Amino acid sequence: MRSVWAVARNTIAQALRMKLAAVVIILLLVILPLMSRIMVGDGKLQGKLQTFISYGMSLMTVLLSILTIAISTYTLSDDIKRKYIFLVVTKPIGRFQIILGKLMGIVTVDFVLLAVFSGIIYVLTLLMFHYTDAPPQEVAQAKNEFFTARLGLTDPEDEDKIEQRAREALDKLESANQMPENMTRMDVLNQLIGHEKIKARSVGIYGKKVWEFENVRVRDPNDTLFVRYKFSVTTQPPDDQVYGLWDIGDKRQIDLAVGEWKTPIVRIPRSSKTRTIAEIQAPAAVIADDGYVAVTFYNTNRNQTTVIPEDVELLFRAGSFTGNYIRAVLLIGFRLIFLAALGVSASTWLSFPVAFLLTGAVFCAGLINGFIIESFGSLGSTVSIFYSLTLRPLVWLLPKLDGPHNPTQFMVFGKLLTWQILVRAFGIMIGLKAVVLTMLGMWIFSNREIAKTVV
Amino acid sequence: MVTDNGEYAIETISLTKIFGDWWGRAKVIAVDKLDLKIRHNEIYGLLGPNGSGKTTTLKMLLNLLHPTKGRALVLGGSSRNSRISERIGYLPEDSYLYRYLTARETLDFYGRIFGLPAAVRKSRIDTLLEMVGLTGMANRAVGTYSKGMARRIGLAQALINDPEILILDEPTSGMDPIGTRQMKDLFLQLAKRGKTILLCSHLLADVEDVCDRIGILYGGTMQVEGTVDELLQHRDERQILTGGISDDALEKIGRIIENEDASYTVNSPMDRLEEFFIRTVVSAQEQELPTSGAMSTTGIGGFLTEESDEPGILDQLVTAAADRPSAVEDVEIIATQKPDESTPPQQTDSGLLGKLTQSAAEHIETQIVEKTEPAELEISGAAEIKRDVLNDLLGRNETDQGLTESVEPPKTGDDEDA
Repeated sequence: MRSVWAVARNTIAQALRMKLAAVVIILLLVILPLMSRIMVGDGKLQGKLQTFISYGMSLMTVLLSILTIAISTYTLSDDIKRKYIFLVVTKPIGRFQIILGKLMGIVTVDFVLLAVFSGIIYVLTLLMFHYTDAPPQEVAQAKNEFFTARLGLTDPEDEDKIEQRAREALDKLESANQMPENMTRMDVLNQLIGHEKIKARSVGIYGKKVWEFENVRVRDPNDTLFVRYKFSVTTQPPDDQVYGLWDIGDKRQIDLAVGEWKTPIVRIPRSSKTRTIAEIQAPAAVIADDGYVAVTFYNTNRNQTTVIPEDVELLFRAGSFTGNYIRAVLLIGFRLIFLAALGVSASTWLSFPVAFLLTGAVFCAGLINGFIIESFGSLGSTVSIFYSLTLRPLVWLLPKLDGPHNPTQFMVFGKLLTWQILVRAFGIMIGLKAVVLTMLGMWIFSNREIAKTVV
Repeated sequence: MVTDNGEYAIETISLTKIFGDWWGRAKVIAVDKLDLKIRHNEIYGLLGPNGSGKTTTLKMLLNLLHPTKGRALVLGGSSRNSRISERIGYLPEDSYLYRYLTARETLDFYGRIFGLPAAVRKSRIDTLLEMVGLTGMANRAVGTYSKGMARRIGLAQALINDPEILILDEPTSGMDPIGTRQMKDLFLQLAKRGKTILLCSHLLADVEDVCDRIGILYGGTMQVEGTVDELLQHRDERQILTGGISDDALEKIGRIIENEDASYTVNSPMDRLEEFFIRTVVSAQEQELPTSGAMSTTGIGGFLTEESDEPGILDQLVTAAADRPSAVEDVEIIATQKPDESTPPQQTDSGLLGKLTQSAAEHIETQIVEKTEPAELEISGAAEIKRDVLNDLLGRNETDQGLTESVEPPKTGDDEDA
C-alpha cells in the first residue's frame, strides 16, 4: 500500500505540473465568479440561479472531465515513452500496483479539484440568493422550487395502458391484414404507441384528465405540493395561453360521495403559456392518509382547442438542497473515476495522443448516449438487426452521462437525486465498467514488454 | 518462490532475444544462447560494441524484456518477484528520472516504493546526497541537472535499498573524471561489503580498474570471458622494470641473472584492455560474425583529417585549454563544503563513501560475504622479487631509482590507493 501511495503522490505531482491543469484551475477561478455576476436567465431570481448552477456545474464537469482524460492518458504513457517506468517496474512493486497508484493519484486530484470548485459554486449560489434585490414572491419561488430537493412522481399507469392500447390496435391491424409495407412489427408498434400517447393525453374542450399518485409521503405536513406540466395544443390560441382548471386532492371522496371530506381538495384556475414548463402549488394537506392524491385538469371553454398536457409530474420536498448538491457532485465524481479508469487502461497499450482521442471519443459518446440509442432505434429493419447484434452491446458499455444521469438537471429543477440513483450509478459506472476496464489495463500492462523494440 | 540466493548471483541459461518487426517477423538476433554465470560478491564487466546485446541482456535480467528463449535468473529467480527485486539496484544507460522532482523527492519516491520507514529513508537520502555531492542542490529539479549530476542521482537511487546486486549500465557515462574515480572506488567498497556488481560499460579503463571478471559480447554471443589478468597477461614473456639505470648496471644485472639464478621485479607485460577489446571485436568482424550493431572503425571522417592553414576548432580548444590556469576549474563541483586543506581529497571522498558503506547510525542487514581479492600476479619461487639484491647491486634505494613509478597501484580498493 505504501508503494501504491508513492506512485499516487508522484502522479499528483505530475498532474499538477501539467499546463492544462493550471489552465483549468485558472479558467474556473475566473469564470465561475464572473458567471455569478452576469447570468440573468429569464430575469427572475430562480431563472438566474438555475442558469448559474446549470452552466457552472456543466462547465466544471466538462473541464474536469477533459483534465481527467488528459492526465489519465498522459501519466502512464509518458512514463513509458520517456522510460521513467524502467526505474519503477524494476523495484519491488507489482505492475497492477502501479496502475492502482496512478488511478489513486488521478482520483485524488479530481476529488480535490471537484471539492474546491463545487464548493465555490455552492457558495456563489447562496451569495446570489442572499444578496438579491428580487421581490419577495421571487425569493419565495426560488426557495420552494430551487433550494429544495423534490421527489418527482409520474402517473405509473399511463405507460402500461398506452402500450396495451397500442398492442390492441396492432393486433387489429394484423388480423385485418392492414400492416403497412416496409415496416417491421416493432416500428408499427412504436408508431401506434406514439399515437396512443397523444390520444391518452389529449383533453378536448370541457374534457378532463386525471393523474393519480400513490405513496406520496411528505416530511412535513405543512409542506407544499407542486404539479409540473407543459401544454401542447392542436390549434394555437391567439394569446398563446391555455386557461385550465386544476383539482388537487383525494378525488375518491367525490367519487364515493362521502359525507365529510377528511382532506381538502383544492381548485386552482391557472393560465399557462403553451410549450413552457409551469408549476402550480397545493398544500400537502390534500394528501390522503394512505398517501393517495389525484390531480385533475379541466379544459375550459375559453381555450377552444384540444389541450395536450405533457410531462405531468407531482413534486414534493424530500430532501435538502445541500444534500442534493453533495449527491450531484458525487455523481460527477463517479463520472471522473470512470474516465480515469478508461484513460489509464487505454494508455497501457496506446500512446498518449491515441489514448486521449479514444477516451475523449467515449466521453463524447457518453454525453449523447440517449440520442445514439434513439437514432439507431428509428433505423430500417435490416440496420436495426445489425444494430441489435453489434452496436447495441457496445453502446451499453458506454457511460451514460446524459438525461437522467446528468446531475445538473437535478439541481436546476430542484429534483431529488436519491441515494438509490447514486448507488446504482456507482455500481454500474464504477463497480462494473471501471473495474472491468482497470483489470483489463492491469492485465495488458502486466504482460507487455516495457522496453519492447520494433525493428 | 525464492528458497535461496541461487548458486550464482546472476545466471542466464541459453538466453536468446530476437527482435521482430511490426508484423512479428524475426529480424534481429540481439542475444544468442547466452550462458552467463556471475558469482556472488563478484564485480563482472560486460563489454561489447554498440548493439552487441549488453543492454538487452540487462533488460531481460530485469524483466523489462521477455526472453525469446532461455532463462534469466537473478538470485536464483525472476527479478519480477518482489522479494528478489527488493535486493537489486539498477542504473539504466540513461538516468530516466522524473524531471520535475527534486533530487531529494526522487530518492524519497524510490525509497517509498521500497517501503523504507520514514526515518531510514531520511537518513539514507541525506547520506546518499552527500555521497554523490549533491547536498547543496538537493532541492533543485532533476530536469535542470547536467548529465553527470543526473547520473549521480541515478546511482543514488540504485543504492537507496542497500542492494545485494547492482546492475549498472554505463554508470560513468557523462561523469567527470573525479566523479568517475569516486564511482569506481565506491564499487570496490561495495564489493568489499559483499555486493555483486554487474557492470556494463564502454569505458574500458573503468572496467579494467574494478572488475574481477569480464566478458566481451559481440553479435549477441560471448566472445571471451575470464579474469582481467587471465585475459590480458602475456604469460610467455617476462619484463624487468627498473628506473633510469646505466648500461653498466644493466650488464651487472644480466650477469647476475646468468650467474645467480635469482629473480627480481618480474611482471608479465600487460596490454591495455582497450587494445584487447578492439582486437577481439576486429577479430569477430574479420570472421564476419553476424551483428545488428554498429561496426567498429579506426578511421576518422575525411573532412576532419584534411589539413588547413587556419587553426582548427580542435587546435583552438587545445590552445585555450593550455592557457587556462587550472584544469580543475572545468571539473564539476562535487562537494559544497570546502575540504580541510590538511586533508587530501582522497580522504574526503573516503569519508563520504565510508558513511554509505560503514554507517554505524543505520544498521543495514547485509550478509557479509568474504571478498575475493582481485587476482594478484602469481610469481613463482624462482621469479620472486629480491629487491635487496637489486638494491645492493645499484647501491641506492627503491624510491630514488623510481622503481615503482611505472608500476600500477595495487587493486585493493582502499581509499588511500584511490
